[in-house]
This record gives sequence, C-alpha cells and structure tokens, in this order.
Amino acid sequence: MTKLNKILSLNLLKIGYVSGSSRTVLLPPLNASAKKGELIAVIGRNGIGKSTLLRTMTGLQEPLGGEIYYDGRGIRGYSRTDLARKVGYISTETVKATNMRVYDLVSLGRYPHTNWFGKISLIDHEKILDALEKTSMSAFRDRLISELSDGERQKTMIARILAQDTDIMVMDEPTAFLDIGSKYEIFHLLHQLSQKGKKTIIFSTHDLQMAISQSDKIWLILDNQLREGAPEDLMIDGAFDHLFESSSLHFNSETGTFSFMEEEKGSFYIEGDGVEKHWTEEAVRRAGFSISATKTTPYIKVISGTMNSWKVISEKQEKAFSSIYDLISGLVENEHISI
Amino acid sequence: MSYFITGKLTNLKILKTDNQIQTLSISKSGNRKELLFGALFLIVISLFILDIFFGSVSIKASEVIRAIFTHSGSNFETIILKFRIPKAITALTVGIALSLSGLQMQTVFRNPMAGPDVLGISSGASLGVAFVILGFSSHLSPENVSGLGNWILVAASWVGAGVVLALIMVLSSKVKDIMTILILGIMLSSGISAIVIIMQYFSNETMLKAYVIWTMGSLGNLTSGQLNVLIISVSAGVILTLITTKMLNALLLGETYAGSIGLNVKLARFMIFICTSILTGTVTAFCGPIGFIGIAVPHITRILFKTSDHLILIPGTILTGGAVMLLSDIISQLPGSDNVLPVNSVTSLIGIPIVIWVIMRNRKYSGLF
Repeated sequence: MTKLNKILSLNLLKIGYVSGSSRTVLLPPLNASAKKGELIAVIGRNGIGKSTLLRTMTGLQEPLGGEIYYDGRGIRGYSRTDLARKVGYISTETVKATNMRVYDLVSLGRYPHTNWFGKISLIDHEKILDALEKTSMSAFRDRLISELSDGERQKTMIARILAQDTDIMVMDEPTAFLDIGSKYEIFHLLHQLSQKGKKTIIFSTHDLQMAISQSDKIWLILDNQLREGAPEDLMIDGAFDHLFESSSLHFNSETGTFSFMEEEKGSFYIEGDGVEKHWTEEAVRRAGFSISATKTTPYIKVISGTMNSWKVISEKQEKAFSSIYDLISGLVENEHISI
Repeated sequence: MSYFITGKLTNLKILKTDNQIQTLSISKSGNRKELLFGALFLIVISLFILDIFFGSVSIKASEVIRAIFTHSGSNFETIILKFRIPKAITALTVGIALSLSGLQMQTVFRNPMAGPDVLGISSGASLGVAFVILGFSSHLSPENVSGLGNWILVAASWVGAGVVLALIMVLSSKVKDIMTILILGIMLSSGISAIVIIMQYFSNETMLKAYVIWTMGSLGNLTSGQLNVLIISVSAGVILTLITTKMLNALLLGETYAGSIGLNVKLARFMIFICTSILTGTVTAFCGPIGFIGIAVPHITRILFKTSDHLILIPGTILTGGAVMLLSDIISQLPGSDNVLPVNSVTSLIGIPIVIWVIMRNRKYSGLF
C-alpha cells in the first residue's frame, strides 16, 4: 500500500499538553491511518487522550512529536485555510448565539471558501442547501438554533462540516447526550456519508457495540499502544480485553459485548427452541450461570407456544414457572440445591 | 448571511421548485433589512438635525437655518457652528464607537453582558487619563490640551483600556463562566477607582477640579483639534472592525470551532483587542466614561435585525449607536428649558432597562446573547 492511498496517516505521533515549560505526553507514539470513505471509530477509556488525539489531528493543538500526513503531505505544510478545506471538526461543545438560524450556522462551514467579508456566493448557497438536504434538515433551515432538539442540533453541526466540503470529518463523541432514536439516526447518517458520500469519518465513541457493527475500522487506544484494524480482526486478536483495567469485565468475542465476569454459580442445559430459548439463555447467563452444551441434570425445559412455561427438571423433581422472571428467582433461591 | 445573495438569486430563471418558496422568503427578509437600514439612516439624519436645533440657548429654527447658510456673524452663528454642530458630530461618533466596541466584546467573550463599561475597560481608560491629568499636569486635562497633548491623552487612555482588556482576556481564557467574568470586571473597576481616589487625594486643587469635571462626561467640550483626533481614531477603529467582520462571525461558534474552520484565533483576538481599545479609549479620553451605550445598542440592533450575522450587525450597530447617542444628547438638553443634564445619566436611563430585559431573557433560555 502506498502512502498516497492513505488520505490520513499518523506517524509516531506524540500527543499531549504543554503548560509553561512542562510537557505532558499522553501516550506512546501513535501510528494509524485512514483511507477515503472509511468510517473509523476511536475507542478508548475515559481520559486516555481520545479528544486530544482528535484535536491534534485537526490542527487545533500542536503535536509534541511525530507527523500527521494528509494526502501524503505533512500537516505543517498546510495553511489554516487549506487544512480547514481538508478536515472538519465537531466537538461536544454546543454553539449558542441569539438569532442564529440553522442556515446561518451551516453557512459558517463555508468559511474557508468565502472571500474576505465571508459573503455567501450562489455556489456557497447551493452547497449549504445540499448539506441541509443530506442531513434531512432542509425543513429546519429557518429555525433558530436555540430551538432545536439535541439530535437536530447535532445534525445541523454535521451539515456544517458537510458545507465545509472536506474529505475528512473528525467528530468527538457525536452521539453523546443523544436519546437512542437520535443516536441510531446519527450512526446511520455517518454510515451513509462514508459509504455514499465517500467521506472519511473518524469519530470517538463509548458505544462499543455500535462502533463494532457500523465502522470499517477501529482505532483502539490502549495504555501502551494504538491498535487499528477491522472490528472483527481486533476481536479475533482479543484486543478488546485490554480496554479496561478491571479484570472482572470480560469481552465476549463471539457476541461483541462486554459482561461482568463473576464467580460461576453453576451450569444449565436448556432444552427448547425459538426466541424463548434465546432470551432464557440470556437471562440465565445474567444470573451468573453458564449454559452447558450437553444434557446434564437439572436442566431447564422451555415450552413455547400460547402458554409459555419454563420447567426446571431434576431427577427427583420438576418445577414449573410462568415467566423468565419467576424462573430466575427460582434458580437464585435454590442455588444451593441445584448445584 | 442569507440576504446578501438576494439580488443574484431572484434574477435566476431556473430554480428548483422546492427552492422557489425559500428564495421568496429570502428576498422578503432581505427587503425588510433594506427598509430597516433606510429607516435607520433617515432617523440618524433627522436626529442629527434636531440635535443642532436644541440646546441650552433657545434659538429659533429660522435663526438656525440662517446661521448655517448665511454668514451674518451673529452670536447665534457662533453657537451653531462652533458649538452645536461639533457636539452633534461628537455624539454621532461616540455612539458609533462605543456601540461597535460593545458588539465586538459581546461576540469575543460570547457574553451578552459584555461592554466597555461593564468589563472595566472604560475604567482602565479613565485610569490612563487620571495618570495624565492628576499625575503630570492639569494643563493636560481635556479642557486645556491642544496639539500633541491631545494625542498623549488619547494614547494614555488606549493603554489604560488595553491593559484592562488584556487582563480580562487572560482571565476569560481560564474561567469560562460568564457571571464570573462579569464579577472580575466589577472587581477590576473597583480596584481602579481605588487607585484613582488615592491619586486624587495626593493631587492639587486645580488637577482635582479638572479631573472631576472630566468624569461627568460631556460631548460639548471638545476643541476642534480634539474633534479631529476623535474622528481620525474612531474612523480607524471602524475600518478595523469592518476588516474583522468575517472573524467575528466565525467567533460566534466559539474559539475551537472558529479554529477548525480556518480562523487564526490569536490574530483575530488581537485585532479585536486593538480595535476595542482604540474605540473605547478615544471616546473616554475626550468625553469621560459614558455608560450603557456599549452594552445596550448591540442588543437593540439584534432585536431590530433578528440576525447574528456581523455583515448586517456591524452597519446596523453603527446606525443604531449613532441614533441612540444623538437622542440621548437631545434629551440631555431638556428641550424647552435652560437646564442641561449630564449625558451620562441619560444614557444610563436608556440603557439599564434594556440590560435588565436581556438578563431576564437569558434566565429563561439559559443561553448566551
């Protein structure tokens, strides 16, 4: 792979802060790259330096060493305006200004393209309308930004960097503070923009499941390194196990989810089929038992149909429950007996 | 931002159908703004003329016109040409300068309550003046100076304003909370007053008198030399403001976003800093501390134009500021009576209700501006 193939590459990048004469380097030198049209999730625990990395990449903060290449050219070779035409940025900070309408906010994305007075030309106007349409915010163009919901505000911010017309969009936790509906909508929008719009989108998130299912690549920031790869590659490598220091938190490579590892209380074989069996398994696992693959006693029998019922069958007795909730209560109460 | 493209858009023959209605709405709001600009311009002209007609000496309208257009050499002519016209020009210039300075500060600090007086910038300028009048010589008081002395006075005022503004800027980069910054501004003002009081205590009677008269604020005491300095400096400030139009719009997003769209934030802050110091400092040096114009006028302009775009807000603030200050001057003449109020008290009475309204509105929205 040649360097030109990569729209962005980080080469032994050192990030951190300078205050006075002291330098605080946050992480060991980082290497990572991105290609055109990729949706990349940046994952790491709180405070590890995700925001600092994103700010450094967008030129808002000086790197403490190493180099950032955009299209094979070092970031220092770009003027402010050129860089603003290359990469756009959204942080968790909200914009507040009276009398500012959605159209006005989006039009500020044209800043690096407009003349000295920032006058909006017809081309700028078309780009703004296009950005509003792509984020389905056209109907809101004359709405005051102070009257928007969190989700609408985030879409307006995304419209703003679309109007900025950059190849790369960097977003710091774009789905923080959003309700579930808006969160899915934003993820869907990001996915579309990268797939159809050929934008490279690099975003940090704490929503690991969404990141794994939606992104083309993950930059996993661990204390001693940055690991990059398709989410699946990282899962097979067991890279996510190092994400949290807590040893009781376990990453399940098959389901792509985290669970608390507790002392196992015992195991059950579950007989049955369909959706009832699936959710019974989930509940039994949550209660701290494992699911055994071979039939042992006591085992749980799931009878699906109009009258759902669950039975715990041992050699001596058989006990029926009318809901998963009752079943779990029964298992927990009789823990000492069933093992 | 939207309305500047009006002309081009409405001339376009081919338009997407769904854009047509929007285009209409753009040109409609565009017309509204053009009408407003026209109306404001006429108001400024009318107030300017009215300001010449009213004064502590009652002069008939016919006499005023005769004084302007003929050279009769009467006493009235002296009053009109040497006193009232310069005063009206001063009022206009002062209104423009303080209002623009307030607009810039409100945007840079993202604080609806920012203004030259509230943040202590005017106090800083006063300190500069106090150093010159009380520290060196009462001959350098605005009443007595001429020539180079004018520029010394103004420069001292700029430096005073600049020092306080720099302090506030440094503090505001450490503290983000609006109210905290305002309290810091009040603290700075109080500290400066304390220093001025100490200086007054140690100064002689003539110096003290010159300083106290200056603090009352007046538009009418400028010599023609001072008026020149005022006009030159404020014009420079206005030109600088126009240059920063685009930067101010970017700063509406906050400094991080402004940086991400290509603004050199440090340069922008520095330019606005210089500009505000010149505008506030010059006015304060010659006319004394004039309160509440800087904070109130930008809000009146925002209410009128319903926009956040500085391409509109800057000319709007220039016109509104000029109008409000001329009106304040007319009111201070108490038309029909021989008495004159200090212009300071009039601007406060006009400005304070607006400031209270802004505070109450912000309580509801909990937002900025």
